[in-house]
Amino acid sequence: MTASFIRSDDFAAFVTALIEAGPVYGPVAKRSRFAFERLETPEELRLDYDVTILPPKKLFFPPAQDLVTFDGAGFRAALEPTEKVLLGVHFYDVKAIDQTDLLFSERNYDINYMAHRETTTIVASNIQTVSKRAFFASVGADVEPQGHDAFLTAINGGYVLETRTERGEALLAFGAFQPATEAQIAEAAAVNVAALERCPEELEHGTEAIADKVRAAFQDEELWTTLAADCFSCGTCNTVCPTCYCFDVQDTWNVDQTSGQRTRFWDGCLTEDFAKCSLGEGACENFREERAARFRHRLMRKATYLNEKLGGPACVGCGRCSAGCTADIADPARVINQIMAS
Amino acid sequence: MNHQCHWTDVENIFLPREATIVCSEQATPSETHFTLKMADGQPIEYEPGQIVELSLFGYGEIPIGIASSPTRKNTFDLVVRSVGRVSGAVTKLGKGESVYVRGPLGHGFDLTKLRGHDVLIVAGGIGLCPTRSLIQYILDRRDEFDRFVLFYGAREPSLQLFTDDLARWRTANDVEYYETVDRGDPSWTGNVGVITTLFPQVELGPETRAVICGPPIFYRFVVRELDMIGIPRENVFVDLERRMKCGVGKCGHCQINDKYVCVDGPVFPFADVQGLEEAF
Ligand code: SF4
Ligand code: SF4
Ligand code: FES
Repeated sequence: MTASFIRSDDFAAFVTALIEAGPVYGPVAKRSRFAFERLETPEELRLDYDVTILPPKKLFFPPAQDLVTFDGAGFRAALEPTEKVLLGVHFYDVKAIDQTDLLFSERNYDINYMAHRETTTIVASNIQTVSKRAFFASVGADVEPQGHDAFLTAINGGYVLETRTERGEALLAFGAFQPATEAQIAEAAAVNVAALERCPEELEHGTEAIADKVRAAFQDEELWTTLAADCFSCGTCNTVCPTCYCFDVQDTWNVDQTSGQRTRFWDGCLTEDFAKCSLGEGACENFREERAARFRHRLMRKATYLNEKLGGPACVGCGRCSAGCTADIADPARVINQIMAS
Repeated sequence: MNHQCHWTDVENIFLPREATIVCSEQATPSETHFTLKMADGQPIEYEPGQIVELSLFGYGEIPIGIASSPTRKNTFDLVVRSVGRVSGAVTKLGKGESVYVRGPLGHGFDLTKLRGHDVLIVAGGIGLCPTRSLIQYILDRRDEFDRFVLFYGAREPSLQLFTDDLARWRTANDVEYYETVDRGDPSWTGNVGVITTLFPQVELGPETRAVICGPPIFYRFVVRELDMIGIPRENVFVDLERRMKCGVGKCGHCQINDKYVCVDGPVFPFADVQGLEEAF
């Protein structure tokens, strides 16, 4: 595909043209933080964001998504995907999207995720500001981000847009793009490499060594009990994680009491009842009753269980869980470094 | 991006099909035995040991192992234990009313591993329901299997399921049936004791293929008995129960370490799960 350049002065007009053509989502400021929201104007777009509160997964896998609706006449799929553009996704979130793409499409292809995904044009962008807990440079470093249609990098005087797919190529018609020069392409590459060197945290070992040692530590009850001692079982580390995709499914009635919907809601394996099963006559079995067991399950998923399937760890080093955990115990870089050092 | 097909070409995996209740019978004080028929006349095609998600709109879905064999055509059986919102609503329904099912889901019993061999089934409590799919299958295709031994343990006589079946199996000569209850009652004349008390009553060879389904604590004790007989663990199959939501390997609720009970199981060769710390 191609590499093009657009001058800073022409960029707002490009975003405006996209907004006029259909829904565009991108990072916007939310008080002192950032969130992916639908853009009304190009000025709202904050490509200098560090990290968003929630990852972009919410566009493909909404916090509450109707799967089926029903009424007196019957039931039907609730899915109504619309074409949209998602602008300004950092590469670590693209890697996370690659993972959920694979997991929702393998074995049983879930159109409730995939339809939203396939109707979205993703424009990745370079990391201008590095968040305080990021360690994206040292986790799964050999895994390349795939699922984006174009990659936008801010350089002196403008942006380089490298297209990866036909969808990405189609974006060029919306702005005053011209072919990028060799020097501009080289500058963009250097900008992206430089961002990797600014991570405040890092994993001190490689993916395989980590996977082996973390897996081997499974039965070290004392280790997990200590690590999870301050856990509130709030599930925040699951909610904010771009690679977490567990859910609950529940039916609700509308006020008319005849129509309603079957909806999936984000869930998290750290919450107390996640693996609880009723066995009848008041008996139940919670297959991960202890906080330590739930904490361990999350870390096993991030560092070992899915590696073979994904070709790398199921953590992309965004640091959202580290920043979001009230007890500040969720940080995978710290936890893993601690286990590796033990 | 990473995908093999286009979403418009694929069925929504969360859309259920309507099934009509052909027969409903109170099996125990808390369990109802339903016989269902697909409303569109197209029977579901399944293997013994597979599961379905049973639902009622407005209440929700629950996973249930199919309790009848695909050799019994057109209808299939489910036993619903009334413990929650969905099961409570379903068990109030009767003949002619509709429920909804998704499935079959998961992997059932690998019949190729059982055919041509002696088979022992060890069922405890409600574990008799999913194994009944295999029991019926073996009885219907009896000459495909060698010896067939069945152990069934219930907590007390009044909690025994499928009492018509039990009455037949007690006198049948196509199955060697042994039963026990943890606690007897005045009318009970049979064995009293945990399931393992049945093992000394019958001679079993190390070539036997064994199937186990019961409450969580059950497996460890039964496997110990099978070890003593010398049955290799790759010839032992376990049917496991976990919390399930989606039934299609997505929602994460049913995970045992890195395995998904809903798609990798519910039936597993014991050798594949014995090393999983969260399995037993
Ligand atoms: S690790 Fe932290 S964020 Fe996660 S559940 Fe425990 S307290 Fe909540
Ligand atoms: S585990 Fe934490 S750091 Fe890793 S991807 Fe999830 S939220 Fe980001
Ligand atoms: S029940 Fe959802 S993953 Fe198994």
